[in-house]
Amino acid sequence: MHPKRKNTLYKCVWRPVIANPLPAFDVVATYRSILASDPELTMPVAAIESLVEAIAHSNVSTVAETLRLLDDMTTILKNSIPNPISLSAGTDLFQRYLITTLNRPASLHMGPSDDFRAIRNHLLSNGRLFVERAKASREKIASFGKHFIRDGATILTNGGSRVVGALLRRAAESSTMRFRVIYVLSSSASSDAREGQQIVADLRAHNVPVATIPDSAVAYSLGKVDMVIVGAEGVVENGGIISRLGTYQLGLLAKSKGKPFYVVSESHKFVRLFPLSQFDLPIEQKVLDFKTSDGEKKGDAREKQGPEDEGVADMNGKVAGSKCSGNRPEDAVDFTPPNLISGIITESGVLTPSAVSEELIKIWF
Amino acid sequence: MDTTPDGAAPPEAPATAAEPSSNPPPQAPADPKNVQSTEADTAPKLSPAELKKRKQAEKQAKRAQAKSSVPQTPAQQKGPLAKEGQKQQKDSKNAKADLSKPFPVRRRPSQGNTPVVKEVKVELKKDKQDRGLFFGHLYNQPRQHSMVGASKDVNPAILALGLQYSNYIICGSTARMVAMLLAFKTVIEQYHTPVGTSLARHLTAHHLNPQIDYLRSCRPLSISMGNAIRWLKDLIIKIDPDVPEDEAKRDLQENIDYFIRDRVTLADDIITSATAQKINSGDVIMTYASSSVVEKTLIRAHQKGIDFSVIVIDSKPLFEGKQLARKLANHGIRVKYLLITGAAHAIKEASKVFLGAHAMMSNGRLYSRIGTALVAMLASSNGLPVIVLCESVKFTERVALDSIVGNEAAPAEEILSEAERRALLPLKPYLHTSLLPKDDTKDTPAKGNGEVLEWVDNSDNFQMLQLLYDVTPANYINMVITEYGSLPPSSVPVVHRLSTHV
Repeated sequence: MHPKRKNTLYKCVWRPVIANPLPAFDVVATYRSILASDPELTMPVAAIESLVEAIAHSNVSTVAETLRLLDDMTTILKNSIPNPISLSAGTDLFQRYLITTLNRPASLHMGPSDDFRAIRNHLLSNGRLFVERAKASREKIASFGKHFIRDGATILTNGGSRVVGALLRRAAESSTMRFRVIYVLSSSASSDAREGQQIVADLRAHNVPVATIPDSAVAYSLGKVDMVIVGAEGVVENGGIISRLGTYQLGLLAKSKGKPFYVVSESHKFVRLFPLSQFDLPIEQKVLDFKTSDGEKKGDAREKQGPEDEGVADMNGKVAGSKCSGNRPEDAVDFTPPNLISGIITESGVLTPSAVSEELIKIWF
Repeated sequence: MDTTPDGAAPPEAPATAAEPSSNPPPQAPADPKNVQSTEADTAPKLSPAELKKRKQAEKQAKRAQAKSSVPQTPAQQKGPLAKEGQKQQKDSKNAKADLSKPFPVRRRPSQGNTPVVKEVKVELKKDKQDRGLFFGHLYNQPRQHSMVGASKDVNPAILALGLQYSNYIICGSTARMVAMLLAFKTVIEQYHTPVGTSLARHLTAHHLNPQIDYLRSCRPLSISMGNAIRWLKDLIIKIDPDVPEDEAKRDLQENIDYFIRDRVTLADDIITSATAQKINSGDVIMTYASSSVVEKTLIRAHQKGIDFSVIVIDSKPLFEGKQLARKLANHGIRVKYLLITGAAHAIKEASKVFLGAHAMMSNGRLYSRIGTALVAMLASSNGLPVIVLCESVKFTERVALDSIVGNEAAPAEEILSEAERRALLPLKPYLHTSLLPKDDTKDTPAKGNGEVLEWVDNSDNFQMLQLLYDVTPANYINMVITEYGSLPPSSVPVVHRLSTHV
């Protein structure tokens, strides 16, 4: 980037006013409309797509400007939704991608004499390519993951993960396998539950016997279960996952009964985050709410930082549009530590939890 | 100390013999049995004067061998005779010449030789190593406590540094590495390439190696030092022979500065800022012994205004935690100081455990001050997160399965504090007479409190084992914070690869 950088720095000098780039562009609205328009889209991909839109709508002409625009947009996006963990996986990834490509214009087959606009156009088209690939990854995961299901197996799953749904559907379509599904469904009318009911109906239509149970019946039914498959909102650095509230206890129970516990997740959900415990997540959740009868709150330090979020919004595009209060436990997430996870099925292969950090390091360095 | 066990060969290893130092680690000696026996009698417990004499004797021996004027009788290689011979070397140069030859090789039962006091001591040492409790291999490195006997090539800066190492004045693997690199800067500055050689070839093999060997003889090299040495040698070897010497030297010195800046100063900065974010107000941080980066982190978090307190757990042998506790308290942090005996009690109050590292092994295990494993396991069983703070320069590609194969054993005389010695002194009348030092002992420092150590040395059924490190299994570690970010211990090899090949 050396020759280029000089060039761009120079440009910066005589066009320094772009500090506030095109405020007319509403990244949040774009993000929401993208999510709403395509129910198949995940949060990180939608975030990347809206960032690409943002760059396309702006008139940035230097590297520094681009990065600053990206930074601003990312901050706006993160602040606009209650649980930015999943989203930040996408924005971080895109930022990283931008920095590496901008620093190595040679990789774009461009000489130093090329205009920055050419680089920008290249970025935009590549960004769109990325989105396409991310969408395709779900099918790839399904084709990897279906081999984990053996004939006659009973599978326990929860939440409204579309990847899990795709995997089970793919398995159901293959004529050689007969399997049963136990689906943990919360009774609430949350988006997650709706998504779950959709998958259940779908599976039943595919001739797969499905039993739906409440959270409280997990331990009871575990004796009949051969394996557990869950989706994830984010896969963190130590190989643990952040997922819908209740996944952690599912993992604990599965571990105690010696049942394999698999996570299916696209690799763009890998997020550079390292929670040490449930209460170490960078979001506010109000799951623990200590009260006495006179309504006065009594709590320890944990309760204050207790998180709030729109947990599974990732699973459902529409949720992001309908801004939720974040107080409801059914929208909360929890952290499942890596020692409970047998394997993580991604589009680039099946990883052990410890390989996640390796993948992340590869992306970042 | 590469004297061959073959009695006929002239013993030609000077005190700081040049060993291949491409892999300098303090652990994993190649062949404990062999090396141990030879080094056992050459090295430990010799006064400087004796060392000098020994060297002279060896020189004489070489000369004698060349002339082959003195025939060797098998009797001379037998133990007791050799011993007596060595005692006589003060008077007779000729006797010295041939008798010193078998000296490094033999092994004798300790009981038979009681009349010859000094020699008995040496033998006892050796036998102890035979018993060794699995740890005999850790004693094969003779400890140097003075500059006497150092090779003449050793730079004064290195000599001074070596003394600081062996007296634990410079302690801690990062501090030792930085001090070593700074001393190497001096060495390089004062270096002149001899005619007919090139800097790239001569500096590493003939000039740097004696320095490193001397440092190693003062205290085994730390992992980080080994990594830094490897890096430096690699750098030197790659110097283009066409580059003028002055320029090459300046480049090297500059690069050393950059290395320290990138791998230590900046790395510490990144680590402390990342770790300080992990401290929430109300936290009680437990730490063990003393680590510079843990100290910086805690101070930084305190300066950020986070309200937390610290429990410093400490223990023998070095009681480094005292320093840490004092420094933290001086900064206004609430500190509790306990010995490791109270750790199980204190852990109930703690909410996080921060540990420093001597090294991170490639199997994710933590190699750190002895006692660390205990604290980590305790924390783990109490469900507390165990966080290791470690610069990537301390990562190594080696693995450790236990604390026995690779470790550092500190000689008793280095570790026993004055107070402890004083406490032991009143026991003297109860000692078995055979343990009491004889009057004709010539070691002057043995008088006074040092006497205690002689009892230890003289006893044949008592050995003082003082290990400095232990190994914490990876599953007791939740997180390793490096300048590359936070990782699970399983990612140590990935980062190591990254930090050495980028």
